Amino acid sequence: MTVGAEPPLGSPNVATSDSGGAMDREERTPATGRRPRHHWVVRVTHWVNVVALGLMVASGLRIFNAYPAFARKGETFCCYPFAGTPIPAELTFGGWLAGARNWHFAAMWLLFANGLVYLAFIYLHGEWRDLTPRRGDARDSWEMVKFYLFVRRNHPHQGKHNALQKSAYFTMTVLGVLAVLTGLAIWKPVQLAPLTSLFGGYVWARYWHFVVMLGLVLLSVVHVIMVFAVDPYSLRSMITGGYNPAKSPEARNARPFYWHRAAPAATGHAGESEP
Amino acid sequence: MNRRRFLTLGAGSVAGAVLGACDSFGPRNARSLLEFAERKNEQLERWIFRSGSRDRVAAGARLSGRSFPRYFVSDTMPVWNAAERGTWRLEVGGAVRNPLSLTLDDLMRLRSVTQKVDHFCVEGWTARAEWTGVRVSELARLAGATSDAQYVDFQSFDSDYHESWDIDSALHPQTLVAYGMDRHMLGPGHGAPARVHSPVKLGYKNTKYLTRVLFLPSSSGGYWSDRGYEWYGGV
Repeated sequence: MTVGAEPPLGSPNVATSDSGGAMDREERTPATGRRPRHHWVVRVTHWVNVVALGLMVASGLRIFNAYPAFARKGETFCCYPFAGTPIPAELTFGGWLAGARNWHFAAMWLLFANGLVYLAFIYLHGEWRDLTPRRGDARDSWEMVKFYLFVRRNHPHQGKHNALQKSAYFTMTVLGVLAVLTGLAIWKPVQLAPLTSLFGGYVWARYWHFVVMLGLVLLSVVHVIMVFAVDPYSLRSMITGGYNPAKSPEARNARPFYWHRAAPAATGHAGESEP
Repeated sequence: MNRRRFLTLGAGSVAGAVLGACDSFGPRNARSLLEFAERKNEQLERWIFRSGSRDRVAAGARLSGRSFPRYFVSDTMPVWNAAERGTWRLEVGGAVRNPLSLTLDDLMRLRSVTQKVDHFCVEGWTARAEWTGVRVSELARLAGATSDAQYVDFQSFDSDYHESWDIDSALHPQTLVAYGMDRHMLGPGHGAPARVHSPVKLGYKNTKYLTRVLFLPSSSGGYWSDRGYEWYGGV
């Protein structure tokens, strides 16, 4: 599609081409008018995913409540300290076990199809380059941590996303794929026995399905908090696509909960957020 | 109303709807959609199903023993009262050339298998036991099931409990009419004198307190299948 617009694969300095591409995009937005920060396919699949994942997690927790433990009958399970304690009903969906199962096995197709569209799109459109890990990401993540902890003064230079964001979004994609695979493994432990044994058998596959869900929920919660704490302007970019690069966290030197542009002498922490 | 206000209100009402949906059965008009998904899932599950598939449990694996849950739908544990109802018999009928009526002794004289397999409950737990019994495929062969037999209804004396299966799952080599459990005769808590047991279907499809194996040209639903659980219930 627009592969020609992207830097060639294997270009000598990957980091430069990445951030260069992002700068290019950002600079073009106000002048030549409206190249959205997120393609409409990304925006639509993002919000469909909110619905699909919400349905899957809530109905899954209701299913879990039918047996809120992992041990096979007559055995013990090492790694779940809350065995026997049901999830609060307010966090669940489906009303009862059968209802939740019906929702779970219907919404799984929404999650699966939506994930497939998203992955196909970011692959074909080249967007995966903004999300896949690169050499140097660990160092850049550490720089971000230092910046957030006021150890480092200036926001590290970044491409479309900062290194911490990138790691989180990439991890969520991997967890999404694992959620589908572990889900298949506990749906069909006999017909898909090789898949189930890959995850250590039914009991462990059910555990991994639960752990993967926890990971997705945790990262989603952190994601939403960080949107409001660091970059509330990005909310618009995921709805209409519009984004003002002058208000990006990097431009504002924004830390979590310190996202007001530092007006000279107007705010108490101006000195900290001035570049 | 400007766009910002529209978006705020929109997000607010969506969030409200989501919170209102918590702990609920979901919107009533989603029901046809859920039923559609169940039909499509059944097609997929039938397509995935292989009669060569096996649930494999290591020979030395621990059995659940007394931790194997007991379960029935009647108010009290169903026990066959021979004084009232006469000798227990297993009827094998329907779309067959040679209907059978087997006493427990007759059943135990047929070619039997003993297998250590998992029991997958719809609730999410599993249990392991060693089952002894006659393959349903063996009963189908002896009774001469015809090509009309596309479904099998397993009926019981536990109130009106029954569950019907697709023929492929019923004829799976690990689907038994079991009369022995862990090298003992089946106890009344586990469906004595005989029950269906198979790792290829969820627990609720495995009718206990069995009285009749009926080969049918069409599905006849089931106790839990008629109450909202998936009819197919394959594993």
